[in-house]
Amino acid sequence: MDPQAVEARVQAQARRRIRGISLAELRRYPEVGALAGFLAVFLGFAIAAPYFLTLDSLAGIMTIAAELGLVAIGVTLLMIAGEFDLSVGSVLGVSAMAFALMARAGIPHLLAFLAALSLAAAIGALNGWVVTRGRLPSFIVTLGSMMFWRGVLLAVTGGFPIAYEGKSLLMFVLSGRLPGGFHASALWFLTVALIATLVLTRTPFGNAIFASGGNPQAARALGVEVARVKQIGFILTAVLAALAGIIQFSRFGSVDPLRGEGVELEAIAATVTGGTLLTGGYGSVIGTVLGALIVGMVRNGLVLAGAPAYWYRAFIGLVLVGAVIINLRIRRSG
Amino acid sequence: MSEGRWLVEMRGIVKRFDGVEALAGVDFAVGYQEVVGLLGDNGAGKSTLIKVLTGVYPPDDGEIYFEGRPVRFRSPREARALGIETVYQDLALVEMMSIARNFFLGREPVRRVGPFSFLDMREMEQVTRQVLEEIGIRVRSVWEPVSVLSGGERQSIAIGRALHFGVRLLILDEPTSALSIKETRKVLGYVEEVRRRGLSVIFITHNIYHVYPVADRLVILSHGRKIGDFRKTDVSPEMVAELIAGGITLPEEGKP
Repeated sequence: MDPQAVEARVQAQARRRIRGISLAELRRYPEVGALAGFLAVFLGFAIAAPYFLTLDSLAGIMTIAAELGLVAIGVTLLMIAGEFDLSVGSVLGVSAMAFALMARAGIPHLLAFLAALSLAAAIGALNGWVVTRGRLPSFIVTLGSMMFWRGVLLAVTGGFPIAYEGKSLLMFVLSGRLPGGFHASALWFLTVALIATLVLTRTPFGNAIFASGGNPQAARALGVEVARVKQIGFILTAVLAALAGIIQFSRFGSVDPLRGEGVELEAIAATVTGGTLLTGGYGSVIGTVLGALIVGMVRNGLVLAGAPAYWYRAFIGLVLVGAVIINLRIRRSG
Repeated sequence: MSEGRWLVEMRGIVKRFDGVEALAGVDFAVGYQEVVGLLGDNGAGKSTLIKVLTGVYPPDDGEIYFEGRPVRFRSPREARALGIETVYQDLALVEMMSIARNFFLGREPVRRVGPFSFLDMREMEQVTRQVLEEIGIRVRSVWEPVSVLSGGERQSIAIGRALHFGVRLLILDEPTSALSIKETRKVLGYVEEVRRRGLSVIFITHNIYHVYPVADRLVILSHGRKIGDFRKTDVSPEMVAELIAGGITLPEEGKP
Protein backbone atom coordinates (compact mmCIF):
# COMPACT_ATOMS: atom_id res chain seq x y z
CA MET A 1 0.00 0.00 0.00
CA ASP A 2 1.40 3.43 -0.91
CA PRO A 3 1.98 6.09 1.72
CA GLN A 4 -0.87 8.29 0.53
CA ALA A 5 -3.42 5.57 0.90
CA VAL A 6 -2.07 4.75 4.33
CA GLU A 7 -2.30 8.41 5.24
CA ALA A 8 -5.90 8.54 4.02
CA ARG A 9 -6.73 5.48 6.02
CA VAL A 10 -5.13 6.88 9.15
CA GLN A 11 -7.06 10.12 8.75
CA ALA A 12 -10.36 8.34 8.17
CA GLN A 13 -9.57 6.33 11.24
CA ALA A 14 -8.91 9.49 13.24
CA ARG A 15 -12.20 11.00 12.09
CA ARG A 16 -14.09 7.93 13.17
CA ARG A 17 -12.31 8.00 16.50
CA ILE A 18 -13.43 11.55 17.12
CA ARG A 19 -17.00 10.50 16.44
CA GLY A 20 -16.73 7.90 19.15
CA ILE A 21 -15.40 4.38 19.25
CA SER A 22 -13.84 3.14 16.05
CA LEU A 23 -16.01 0.63 14.20
CA ALA A 24 -12.95 -1.33 13.19
CA GLU A 25 -12.05 -1.72 16.79
CA LEU A 26 -15.57 -2.79 17.73
CA ARG A 27 -15.31 -5.48 15.09
CA ARG A 28 -12.64 -7.19 17.13
CA TYR A 29 -15.18 -7.89 19.86
CA PRO A 30 -17.76 -10.51 18.83
CA GLU A 31 -19.90 -9.76 21.86
CA VAL A 32 -20.78 -6.18 20.90
CA GLY A 33 -24.05 -7.18 19.24
CA ALA A 34 -25.00 -9.35 22.19
CA LEU A 35 -24.30 -6.50 24.60
CA ALA A 36 -26.59 -4.22 22.60
CA GLY A 37 -29.28 -6.92 22.54
CA PHE A 38 -28.82 -7.57 26.25
CA LEU A 39 -29.29 -3.89 27.11
CA ALA A 40 -32.31 -3.56 24.80
CA VAL A 41 -34.07 -6.61 26.23
CA PHE A 42 -33.16 -5.59 29.78
CA LEU A 43 -34.47 -2.04 29.37
CA GLY A 44 -37.56 -3.26 27.53
CA PHE A 45 -38.60 -5.58 30.34
CA ALA A 46 -37.53 -3.15 33.05
CA ILE A 47 -40.07 -0.71 31.58
CA ALA A 48 -42.78 -3.13 30.48
CA ALA A 49 -42.74 -5.75 33.22
CA PRO A 50 -43.47 -4.87 36.82
CA TYR A 51 -41.31 -6.70 39.36
CA PHE A 52 -38.71 -7.41 36.64
CA LEU A 53 -36.09 -5.50 38.60
CA THR A 54 -36.70 -7.31 41.88
CA LEU A 55 -34.04 -9.53 43.40
CA ASP A 56 -36.29 -12.56 43.05
CA SER A 57 -36.75 -12.02 39.36
CA LEU A 58 -33.06 -11.38 38.71
CA ALA A 59 -32.15 -14.49 40.68
CA GLY A 60 -34.64 -16.51 38.64
CA ILE A 61 -33.11 -15.20 35.42
CA MET A 62 -29.66 -16.09 36.67
CA THR A 63 -30.71 -19.65 37.50
CA ILE A 64 -32.15 -20.24 34.04
CA ALA A 65 -29.13 -18.59 32.39
CA ALA A 66 -26.68 -20.61 34.46
CA GLU A 67 -28.09 -24.02 33.54
CA LEU A 68 -28.47 -23.13 29.88
CA GLY A 69 -25.21 -21.18 29.83
CA LEU A 70 -23.08 -24.06 31.08
CA VAL A 71 -24.28 -26.10 28.12
CA ALA A 72 -23.89 -23.16 25.76
CA ILE A 73 -20.27 -22.47 26.78
CA GLY A 74 -19.27 -25.93 25.58
CA VAL A 75 -21.33 -25.51 22.43
CA THR A 76 -19.57 -22.17 21.85
CA LEU A 77 -16.05 -23.53 22.13
CA LEU A 78 -16.95 -26.39 19.82
CA MET A 79 -18.70 -24.11 17.32
CA ILE A 80 -15.65 -21.83 17.18
CA ALA A 81 -13.59 -24.96 16.50
CA GLY A 82 -15.93 -25.63 13.58
CA GLU A 83 -18.28 -28.31 14.88
CA PHE A 84 -21.84 -28.67 16.19
CA ASP A 85 -23.10 -30.76 19.04
CA LEU A 86 -26.82 -31.46 18.88
CA SER A 87 -26.55 -34.24 21.44
CA VAL A 88 -26.06 -31.95 24.47
CA GLY A 89 -29.75 -32.09 25.44
CA SER A 90 -29.74 -35.88 25.46
CA VAL A 91 -26.39 -36.01 27.27
CA LEU A 92 -27.83 -33.63 29.87
CA GLY A 93 -30.81 -35.96 30.35
CA VAL A 94 -28.74 -39.16 30.39
CA SER A 95 -26.27 -37.76 32.93
CA ALA A 96 -28.97 -36.41 35.23
CA MET A 97 -30.76 -39.73 35.07
CA ALA A 98 -27.56 -41.69 35.65
CA PHE A 99 -26.80 -39.56 38.69
CA ALA A 100 -30.36 -39.96 40.01
CA LEU A 101 -30.36 -43.73 39.58
CA MET A 102 -26.98 -44.09 41.28
CA ALA A 103 -27.99 -41.78 44.12
CA ARG A 104 -31.15 -43.78 44.65
CA ALA A 105 -29.14 -46.98 44.68
CA GLY A 106 -27.21 -45.58 47.62
CA ILE A 107 -23.97 -44.81 45.82
CA PRO A 108 -22.15 -41.86 47.43
CA HIS A 109 -23.07 -38.66 45.61
CA LEU A 110 -19.52 -37.59 44.81
CA LEU A 111 -18.83 -40.97 43.25
CA ALA A 112 -22.12 -40.86 41.32
CA PHE A 113 -21.28 -37.34 40.17
CA LEU A 114 -17.86 -38.36 38.86
CA ALA A 115 -19.30 -41.47 37.22
CA ALA A 116 -22.02 -39.45 35.46
CA LEU A 117 -19.45 -36.92 34.21
CA SER A 118 -17.25 -39.77 32.99
CA LEU A 119 -20.17 -41.29 31.15
CA ALA A 120 -20.77 -37.95 29.45
CA ALA A 121 -17.08 -37.64 28.62
CA ALA A 122 -17.22 -41.06 26.99
CA ILE A 123 -20.25 -40.06 24.91
CA GLY A 124 -18.49 -36.84 23.90
CA ALA A 125 -15.34 -38.77 23.00
CA LEU A 126 -17.40 -41.13 20.87
CA ASN A 127 -19.06 -38.19 19.08
CA GLY A 128 -15.67 -36.63 18.44
CA TRP A 129 -14.10 -39.87 17.34
CA VAL A 130 -16.81 -40.61 14.78
CA VAL A 131 -16.69 -37.03 13.46
CA THR A 132 -12.91 -36.71 13.17
CA ARG A 133 -12.09 -40.29 12.20
CA GLY A 134 -14.99 -40.71 9.83
CA ARG A 135 -14.64 -37.15 8.49
CA LEU A 136 -18.38 -36.84 8.84
CA PRO A 137 -20.40 -33.66 9.41
CA SER A 138 -20.91 -33.23 13.14
CA PHE A 139 -24.44 -31.98 12.50
CA ILE A 140 -25.45 -35.44 11.31
CA VAL A 141 -23.34 -37.45 13.74
CA THR A 142 -24.59 -35.59 16.81
CA LEU A 143 -28.16 -35.60 15.49
CA GLY A 144 -27.89 -39.37 15.47
CA SER A 145 -26.24 -39.30 18.88
CA MET A 146 -29.03 -37.08 20.20
CA MET A 147 -31.73 -39.50 19.03
CA PHE A 148 -29.83 -42.58 20.14
CA TRP A 149 -29.21 -41.47 23.72
CA ARG A 150 -32.71 -40.07 24.11
CA GLY A 151 -34.05 -43.41 22.95
CA VAL A 152 -31.82 -45.29 25.36
CA LEU A 153 -32.97 -43.01 28.17
CA LEU A 154 -36.65 -43.60 27.38
CA ALA A 155 -36.16 -47.35 27.02
CA VAL A 156 -34.18 -47.78 30.23
CA THR A 157 -36.62 -45.77 32.36
CA GLY A 158 -39.75 -47.01 30.62
CA GLY A 159 -40.65 -43.33 30.21
CA PHE A 160 -41.19 -42.73 33.92
CA PRO A 161 -39.69 -39.83 35.84
CA ILE A 162 -37.51 -40.42 38.86
CA ALA A 163 -37.88 -38.45 42.06
CA TYR A 164 -35.26 -38.31 44.77
CA GLU A 165 -35.78 -36.99 48.26
CA GLY A 166 -32.19 -37.11 49.45
CA LYS A 167 -30.00 -34.11 50.06
CA SER A 168 -26.25 -33.87 50.19
CA LEU A 169 -23.42 -31.41 50.46
CA LEU A 170 -22.59 -32.03 46.81
CA MET A 171 -26.11 -31.17 45.69
CA PHE A 172 -25.97 -28.01 47.79
CA VAL A 173 -22.61 -27.01 46.37
CA LEU A 174 -23.95 -27.55 42.85
CA SER A 175 -27.26 -25.81 43.16
CA GLY A 176 -28.04 -24.82 46.75
CA ARG A 177 -29.99 -21.69 47.57
CA LEU A 178 -27.92 -18.63 48.31
CA PRO A 179 -29.05 -15.37 49.89
CA GLY A 180 -31.35 -13.33 47.67
CA GLY A 181 -32.88 -16.34 45.96
CA PHE A 182 -29.82 -17.06 43.84
CA HIS A 183 -28.59 -20.60 43.30
CA ALA A 184 -25.03 -21.84 43.60
CA SER A 185 -25.22 -22.76 39.92
CA ALA A 186 -24.77 -19.06 39.12
CA LEU A 187 -21.28 -19.21 40.63
CA TRP A 188 -20.45 -22.34 38.62
CA PHE A 189 -21.67 -20.65 35.50
CA LEU A 190 -19.56 -17.53 36.01
CA THR A 191 -16.50 -19.54 37.03
CA VAL A 192 -16.69 -21.80 34.01
CA ALA A 193 -17.29 -18.78 31.77
CA LEU A 194 -14.21 -17.06 33.17
CA ILE A 195 -12.01 -20.13 32.71
CA ALA A 196 -13.36 -20.75 29.19
CA THR A 197 -12.70 -17.12 28.27
CA LEU A 198 -9.15 -17.31 29.56
CA VAL A 199 -8.50 -20.55 27.69
CA LEU A 200 -10.00 -19.20 24.48
CA THR A 201 -8.31 -15.82 24.41
CA ARG A 202 -5.13 -16.26 26.42
CA THR A 203 -3.74 -19.73 25.75
CA PRO A 204 -2.19 -21.56 22.79
CA PHE A 205 -5.08 -24.03 22.95
CA GLY A 206 -7.53 -21.15 22.42
CA ASN A 207 -5.51 -20.11 19.39
CA ALA A 208 -5.76 -23.67 18.12
CA ILE A 209 -9.55 -23.63 18.62
CA PHE A 210 -9.94 -20.46 16.54
CA ALA A 211 -7.62 -21.77 13.84
CA SER A 212 -9.31 -25.19 13.66
CA GLY A 213 -12.64 -23.55 12.89
CA GLY A 214 -11.34 -20.63 10.86
CA ASN A 215 -9.19 -22.54 8.40
CA PRO A 216 -8.50 -26.17 9.29
CA GLN A 217 -6.10 -26.74 6.36
CA ALA A 218 -3.99 -23.72 7.26
CA ALA A 219 -4.04 -24.74 10.90
CA ARG A 220 -2.89 -28.24 10.01
CA ALA A 221 -0.14 -26.88 7.78
CA LEU A 222 1.10 -24.89 10.77
CA GLY A 223 1.21 -27.94 12.99
CA VAL A 224 -2.08 -27.51 14.84
CA GLU A 225 -3.57 -30.92 15.62
CA VAL A 226 -7.05 -30.05 14.44
CA ALA A 227 -8.62 -33.46 15.08
CA ARG A 228 -7.32 -33.47 18.64
CA VAL A 229 -8.62 -29.97 19.29
CA LYS A 230 -12.08 -30.97 18.08
CA GLN A 231 -11.99 -34.20 20.05
CA ILE A 232 -11.27 -32.29 23.25
CA GLY A 233 -14.05 -29.85 22.32
CA PHE A 234 -16.61 -32.65 22.04
CA ILE A 235 -15.58 -34.12 25.39
CA LEU A 236 -15.67 -30.74 27.11
CA THR A 237 -19.10 -29.94 25.67
CA ALA A 238 -20.57 -33.25 26.85
CA VAL A 239 -19.08 -32.86 30.34
CA LEU A 240 -20.51 -29.35 30.68
CA ALA A 241 -23.92 -30.61 29.54
CA ALA A 242 -23.70 -33.30 32.21
CA LEU A 243 -22.75 -30.74 34.85
CA ALA A 244 -25.79 -28.66 33.86
CA GLY A 245 -27.99 -31.77 34.03
CA ILE A 246 -26.86 -32.74 37.53
CA ILE A 247 -27.17 -29.13 38.69
CA GLN A 248 -30.73 -29.06 37.41
CA PHE A 249 -31.49 -32.38 39.07
CA SER A 250 -30.11 -31.03 42.37
CA ARG A 251 -32.49 -28.08 42.08
CA PHE A 252 -35.63 -30.05 41.16
CA GLY A 253 -34.97 -33.28 43.02
CA SER A 254 -36.39 -35.15 40.07
CA VAL A 255 -35.61 -36.00 36.48
CA ASP A 256 -37.78 -37.21 33.65
CA PRO A 257 -36.63 -38.98 30.49
CA LEU A 258 -37.40 -35.96 28.34
CA ARG A 259 -35.19 -33.67 30.44
CA GLY A 260 -32.98 -31.50 28.28
CA GLU A 261 -35.03 -31.84 25.14
CA GLY A 262 -34.65 -28.68 23.05
CA VAL A 263 -31.67 -27.48 25.09
CA GLU A 264 -29.36 -28.11 22.12
CA LEU A 265 -31.19 -25.52 20.05
CA GLU A 266 -31.46 -23.02 22.91
CA ALA A 267 -27.72 -23.40 23.48
CA ILE A 268 -27.05 -22.73 19.80
CA ALA A 269 -29.40 -19.73 19.98
CA ALA A 270 -27.54 -18.32 23.01
CA THR A 271 -24.22 -18.93 21.30
CA VAL A 272 -25.12 -17.33 17.99
CA THR A 273 -26.91 -14.43 19.71
CA GLY A 274 -23.61 -13.92 21.52
CA GLY A 275 -21.80 -13.28 18.25
CA THR A 276 -20.25 -16.67 17.56
CA LEU A 277 -20.32 -17.60 13.91
CA LEU A 278 -22.26 -20.73 12.99
CA THR A 279 -19.51 -21.44 10.46
CA GLY A 280 -16.74 -21.40 13.09
CA GLY A 281 -13.50 -19.53 13.57
CA TYR A 282 -14.98 -16.56 15.36
CA GLY A 283 -16.83 -16.05 18.60
CA SER A 284 -16.73 -15.38 22.30
CA VAL A 285 -17.73 -17.00 25.56
CA ILE A 286 -18.66 -13.62 27.05
CA GLY A 287 -21.10 -13.19 24.18
CA THR A 288 -22.61 -16.57 25.02
CA VAL A 289 -22.99 -15.55 28.67
CA LEU A 290 -24.92 -12.50 27.47
CA GLY A 291 -26.91 -14.71 25.09
CA ALA A 292 -27.87 -17.08 27.92
CA LEU A 293 -28.85 -14.11 30.08
CA ILE A 294 -31.03 -12.80 27.27
CA VAL A 295 -32.80 -16.18 27.06
CA GLY A 296 -33.28 -16.10 30.86
CA MET A 297 -34.63 -12.54 30.78
CA VAL A 298 -37.07 -13.35 28.00
CA ARG A 299 -38.37 -16.43 29.78
CA ASN A 300 -38.86 -14.60 33.08
CA GLY A 301 -39.76 -11.22 31.68
CA LEU A 302 -42.60 -12.38 29.46
CA VAL A 303 -44.30 -14.05 32.39
CA LEU A 304 -43.82 -10.95 34.55
CA ALA A 305 -45.17 -8.79 31.73
CA GLY A 306 -48.33 -10.88 31.76
CA ALA A 307 -47.79 -12.51 28.38
CA PRO A 308 -48.73 -16.19 28.06
CA ALA A 309 -45.61 -18.33 28.53
CA TYR A 310 -46.18 -19.78 25.08
CA TRP A 311 -44.80 -16.59 23.54
CA TYR A 312 -41.40 -17.42 24.94
CA ARG A 313 -40.16 -19.38 21.92
CA ALA A 314 -41.50 -16.88 19.44
CA PHE A 315 -39.72 -14.06 21.22
CA ILE A 316 -36.44 -15.98 21.44
CA GLY A 317 -36.70 -16.58 17.71
CA LEU A 318 -37.02 -12.87 17.05
CA VAL A 319 -34.13 -12.01 19.36
CA LEU A 320 -31.93 -14.61 17.67
CA VAL A 321 -32.51 -13.36 14.15
CA GLY A 322 -32.23 -9.73 15.27
CA ALA A 323 -28.92 -10.37 17.00
CA VAL A 324 -27.50 -12.17 13.98
CA ILE A 325 -28.41 -9.23 11.76
CA ILE A 326 -26.71 -6.78 14.13
CA ASN A 327 -23.62 -8.99 14.43
CA LEU A 328 -23.32 -9.28 10.67
CA ARG A 329 -23.60 -5.52 10.20
CA ILE A 330 -20.83 -4.87 12.69
CA ARG A 331 -18.58 -7.44 11.03
CA ARG A 332 -19.13 -6.02 7.56
CA SER A 333 -18.53 -2.39 8.54
CA GLY A 334 -15.28 -0.56 9.08
CA MET B 1 27.99 -35.06 -6.59
CA SER B 2 29.26 -34.48 -3.08
CA GLU B 3 27.04 -35.09 -0.06
CA GLY B 4 27.44 -31.51 1.07
CA ARG B 5 26.01 -29.96 -2.02
CA TRP B 6 22.30 -30.35 -1.33
CA LEU B 7 20.21 -29.11 1.54
CA VAL B 8 17.51 -31.52 0.53
CA GLU B 9 17.59 -34.28 -2.03
CA MET B 10 14.79 -36.56 -3.23
CA ARG B 11 15.70 -39.66 -5.23
CA GLY B 12 13.42 -41.80 -7.36
CA ILE B 13 10.23 -40.64 -5.70
CA VAL B 14 7.16 -42.65 -6.71
CA LYS B 15 3.64 -41.83 -5.54
CA ARG B 16 0.49 -43.60 -6.68
CA PHE B 17 -3.12 -42.70 -6.00
CA ASP B 18 -5.54 -45.57 -6.64
CA GLY B 19 -3.07 -47.13 -9.03
CA VAL B 20 -2.45 -43.92 -10.97
CA GLU B 21 1.16 -42.82 -10.86
CA ALA B 22 1.21 -39.17 -9.79
CA LEU B 23 5.00 -39.28 -9.50
CA ALA B 24 6.93 -41.77 -11.60
CA GLY B 25 10.41 -41.77 -10.10
CA VAL B 26 11.30 -38.12 -9.70
CA ASP B 27 14.73 -36.85 -8.63
CA PHE B 28 14.69 -33.40 -7.15
CA ALA B 29 17.19 -31.48 -5.09
CA VAL B 30 17.70 -28.03 -3.64
CA GLY B 31 21.11 -26.60 -2.80
CA TYR B 32 22.08 -24.32 0.06
CA GLN B 33 20.89 -20.76 -0.45
CA GLU B 34 19.40 -21.72 -3.76
CA VAL B 35 16.07 -20.60 -5.21
CA VAL B 36 14.59 -23.38 -7.33
CA GLY B 37 11.59 -22.73 -9.54
CA LEU B 38 9.39 -25.85 -9.66
CA LEU B 39 7.35 -25.58 -12.83
CA GLY B 40 4.73 -27.55 -14.65
CA ASP B 41 1.17 -27.41 -15.88
CA ASN B 42 -1.76 -28.25 -13.64
CA GLY B 43 -1.59 -31.90 -12.66
CA ALA B 44 2.10 -32.23 -13.50
CA GLY B 45 2.88 -33.44 -9.98
CA LYS B 46 4.33 -30.28 -8.41
CA SER B 47 2.07 -30.28 -5.38
CA THR B 48 2.33 -34.02 -4.88
CA LEU B 49 6.13 -33.82 -4.92
CA ILE B 50 6.06 -31.07 -2.30
CA LYS B 51 3.55 -32.93 -0.16
CA VAL B 52 5.82 -35.98 -0.20
CA LEU B 53 8.73 -33.76 0.78
CA THR B 54 6.87 -32.16 3.68
CA GLY B 55 5.40 -35.32 5.14
CA VAL B 56 1.80 -34.89 4.02
CA TYR B 57 1.99 -38.05 1.88
CA PRO B 58 4.40 -40.93 2.43
CA PRO B 59 6.19 -41.87 -0.83
CA ASP B 60 5.50 -45.31 -2.30
CA ASP B 61 9.13 -45.53 -3.32
CA GLY B 62 12.29 -43.40 -3.22
CA GLU B 63 14.43 -41.69 -0.61
CA ILE B 64 14.66 -38.25 0.89
CA TYR B 65 17.86 -36.80 2.32
CA PHE B 66 18.10 -33.68 4.42
CA GLU B 67 21.64 -32.36 4.74
CA GLY B 68 22.83 -35.74 3.48
CA ARG B 69 20.98 -37.74 6.12
CA PRO B 70 18.05 -39.97 5.13
CA VAL B 71 14.74 -38.75 6.56
CA ARG B 72 11.20 -40.04 6.55
CA PHE B 73 8.58 -37.54 7.68
CA ARG B 74 5.34 -38.94 8.99
CA SER B 75 3.65 -35.56 9.33
CA PRO B 76 4.16 -31.91 8.32
CA ARG B 77 5.02 -31.31 11.95
CA GLU B 78 8.15 -33.44 11.66
CA ALA B 79 9.27 -31.69 8.49
CA ARG B 80 8.66 -28.40 10.20
CA ALA B 81 10.79 -29.40 13.14
CA LEU B 82 13.75 -29.67 10.74
CA GLY B 83 13.04 -26.26 9.30
CA ILE B 84 11.03 -27.10 6.20
CA GLU B 85 8.06 -24.78 5.95
CA THR B 86 5.42 -24.40 3.26
CA VAL B 87 3.50 -21.22 2.54
CA TYR B 88 0.35 -22.16 0.64
CA GLN B 89 -1.41 -19.76 -1.66
CA ASP B 90 -4.74 -19.61 0.17
CA LEU B 91 -3.83 -21.52 3.26
CA ALA B 92 -1.09 -19.32 4.61
CA LEU B 93 -3.15 -17.54 7.24
CA VAL B 94 -6.45 -17.85 9.07
CA GLU B 95 -8.42 -14.84 7.84
CA MET B 96 -10.64 -14.29 10.83
CA MET B 97 -7.80 -14.37 13.32
CA SER B 98 -5.65 -11.39 14.15
CA ILE B 99 -2.31 -10.82 12.48
CA ALA B 100 -0.38 -11.46 15.68
CA ARG B 101 -2.27 -14.66 16.49
CA ASN B 102 -1.64 -15.90 12.97
CA PHE B 103 2.01 -15.03 13.16
CA PHE B 104 2.53 -17.26 16.18
CA LEU B 105 -0.03 -19.96 15.39
CA GLY B 106 1.33 -23.31 16.51
CA ARG B 107 4.42 -21.68 18.08
CA GLU B 108 2.96 -19.32 20.63
CA PRO B 109 5.24 -17.70 23.18
CA VAL B 110 3.93 -18.45 26.65
CA ARG B 111 4.35 -17.27 30.18
CA ARG B 112 3.97 -19.89 32.85
CA VAL B 113 1.75 -19.15 35.82
CA GLY B 114 1.94 -22.14 38.10
CA PRO B 115 0.90 -25.17 36.05
CA PHE B 116 -0.74 -23.01 33.35
CA SER B 117 0.70 -21.53 30.19
CA PHE B 118 -0.71 -18.23 29.02
CA LEU B 119 0.02 -16.45 25.77
CA ASP B 120 2.67 -13.79 26.09
CA MET B 121 0.59 -11.10 24.43
CA ARG B 122 3.21 -8.38 24.80
CA GLU B 123 5.87 -10.46 23.09
CA MET B 124 3.39 -11.39 20.34
CA GLU B 125 2.56 -7.74 19.77
CA GLN B 126 6.16 -6.52 19.78
CA VAL B 127 7.57 -9.18 17.47
CA THR B 128 4.69 -8.98 15.02
CA ARG B 129 4.89 -5.21 14.86
CA GLN B 130 8.64 -5.35 14.30
CA VAL B 131 8.35 -7.91 11.49
CA LEU B 132 5.55 -5.92 9.83
CA GLU B 133 7.76 -2.86 9.97
CA GLU B 134 10.65 -4.73 8.34
CA ILE B 135 8.36 -5.92 5.56
CA GLY B 136 6.91 -2.46 5.16
CA ILE B 137 3.30 -3.19 6.04
CA ARG B 138 1.46 -0.59 8.08
CA VAL B 139 -1.60 -1.58 10.06
CA ARG B 140 -3.55 0.13 12.78
CA SER B 141 -2.93 -2.72 15.14
CA VAL B 142 -1.47 -6.21 15.00
CA TRP B 143 -4.74 -7.38 16.57
CA GLU B 144 -6.64 -6.50 13.40
CA PRO B 145 -7.95 -9.55 11.57
CA VAL B 146 -5.87 -10.74 8.62
CA SER B 147 -8.82 -10.02 6.35
CA VAL B 148 -7.86 -6.31 6.31
CA LEU B 149 -4.65 -7.18 4.45
CA SER B 150 -4.13 -7.52 0.70
CA GLY B 151 -3.10 -10.82 -0.87
CA GLY B 152 0.50 -9.70 -1.26
CA GLU B 153 0.68 -8.50 2.32
CA ARG B 154 -0.57 -11.88 3.51
CA GLN B 155 2.07 -13.72 1.48
CA SER B 156 4.74 -11.40 2.81
CA ILE B 157 3.67 -11.95 6.40
CA ALA B 158 3.64 -15.71 5.93
CA ILE B 159 7.17 -15.48 4.52
CA GLY B 160 8.23 -13.14 7.31
CA ARG B 161 6.93 -15.65 9.79
CA ALA B 162 9.03 -18.41 8.25
CA LEU B 163 12.09 -16.16 8.43
CA HIS B 164 11.46 -15.26 12.02
CA PHE B 165 11.24 -18.87 13.12
CA GLY B 166 14.52 -19.83 11.52
CA VAL B 167 13.29 -21.89 8.61
CA ARG B 168 15.98 -23.57 6.43
CA LEU B 169 13.90 -24.43 3.40
CA LEU B 170 10.95 -22.28 2.42
CA ILE B 171 8.42 -23.72 0.00
CA LEU B 172 6.17 -21.21 -1.71
CA ASP B 173 3.12 -22.71 -3.39
CA GLU B 174 1.93 -20.44 -6.20
CA PRO B 175 2.73 -17.36 -4.12
CA THR B 176 2.10 -14.86 -6.89
CA SER B 177 -0.65 -16.38 -9.00
CA ALA B 178 -3.42 -14.38 -7.34
CA LEU B 179 -1.50 -11.12 -7.05
CA SER B 180 -1.36 -7.90 -9.03
CA ILE B 181 1.84 -7.13 -10.93
CA LYS B 182 2.88 -4.59 -8.34
CA GLU B 183 2.33 -6.97 -5.49
CA THR B 184 4.06 -9.80 -7.32
CA ARG B 185 7.12 -7.61 -7.62
CA LYS B 186 7.06 -6.98 -3.89
CA VAL B 187 6.84 -10.65 -3.04
CA LEU B 188 9.67 -11.45 -5.46
CA GLY B 189 11.79 -8.81 -3.77
CA TYR B 190 11.05 -10.54 -0.55
CA VAL B 191 12.16 -13.90 -1.92
CA GLU B 192 15.53 -12.29 -2.78
CA GLU B 193 15.75 -11.10 0.80
CA VAL B 194 15.04 -14.62 2.03
CA ARG B 195 17.95 -15.99 0.00
CA ARG B 196 20.26 -13.23 1.21
CA ARG B 197 19.52 -14.37 4.72
CA GLY B 198 20.78 -17.84 3.84
CA LEU B 199 17.61 -19.81 3.24
CA SER B 200 16.80 -22.12 0.36
CA VAL B 201 13.55 -21.64 -1.51
CA ILE B 202 11.32 -23.83 -3.66
CA PHE B 203 9.06 -21.59 -5.69
CA ILE B 204 6.14 -23.50 -7.22
CA THR B 205 4.35 -21.91 -10.14
CA HIS B 206 3.04 -22.66 -13.60
CA ASN B 207 4.10 -19.22 -14.82
CA ILE B 208 7.81 -19.06 -15.68
CA TYR B 209 7.73 -15.26 -15.81
CA HIS B 210 6.88 -15.10 -12.12
CA VAL B 211 9.83 -17.14 -11.00
CA TYR B 212 12.44 -16.35 -13.66
CA PRO B 213 13.65 -13.09 -12.07
CA VAL B 214 14.54 -14.75 -8.76
CA ALA B 215 15.32 -18.39 -9.57
CA ASP B 216 18.81 -19.92 -9.69
CA ARG B 217 17.58 -23.16 -11.18
CA LEU B 218 14.42 -24.30 -12.92
CA VAL B 219 12.91 -27.78 -12.67
CA ILE B 220 10.05 -28.71 -14.94
CA LEU B 221 7.62 -31.55 -14.26
CA SER B 222 5.11 -33.07 -16.63
CA HIS B 223 2.81 -36.03 -16.01
CA GLY B 224 4.69 -37.04 -12.91
CA ARG B 225 8.15 -36.98 -14.55
CA LYS B 226 10.95 -34.48 -14.50
CA ILE B 227 11.37 -33.20 -18.06
CA GLY B 228 13.83 -30.41 -17.41
CA ASP B 229 16.42 -29.26 -14.88
CA PHE B 230 18.37 -26.16 -15.89
CA ARG B 231 20.46 -23.45 -14.42
CA LYS B 232 18.60 -20.27 -15.21
CA THR B 233 21.57 -18.89 -17.16
CA ASP B 234 21.29 -21.82 -19.58
CA VAL B 235 17.74 -21.21 -20.73
CA SER B 236 15.43 -18.39 -21.72
CA PRO B 237 11.97 -18.06 -20.20
CA GLU B 238 10.50 -18.65 -23.68
CA MET B 239 12.21 -22.03 -23.91
CA VAL B 240 10.88 -23.07 -20.53
CA ALA B 241 7.38 -21.88 -21.36
CA GLU B 242 7.54 -23.92 -24.54
CA LEU B 243 8.65 -26.97 -22.59
CA ILE B 244 5.82 -26.62 -20.07
CA ALA B 245 3.25 -26.17 -22.82
CA GLY B 246 4.72 -28.92 -25.03
CA GLY B 247 4.82 -31.35 -22.17
CA ILE B 248 6.17 -34.82 -22.76
CA THR B 249 7.16 -34.49 -26.39
CA LEU B 250 10.73 -33.66 -25.38
CA PRO B 251 13.20 -36.39 -24.44
CA GLU B 252 13.75 -37.01 -20.77
CA GLU B 253 16.68 -35.23 -19.17
CA GLY B 254 19.58 -37.04 -17.58
CA LYS B 255 19.30 -37.58 -13.85
CA PRO B 256 21.40 -35.35 -11.61
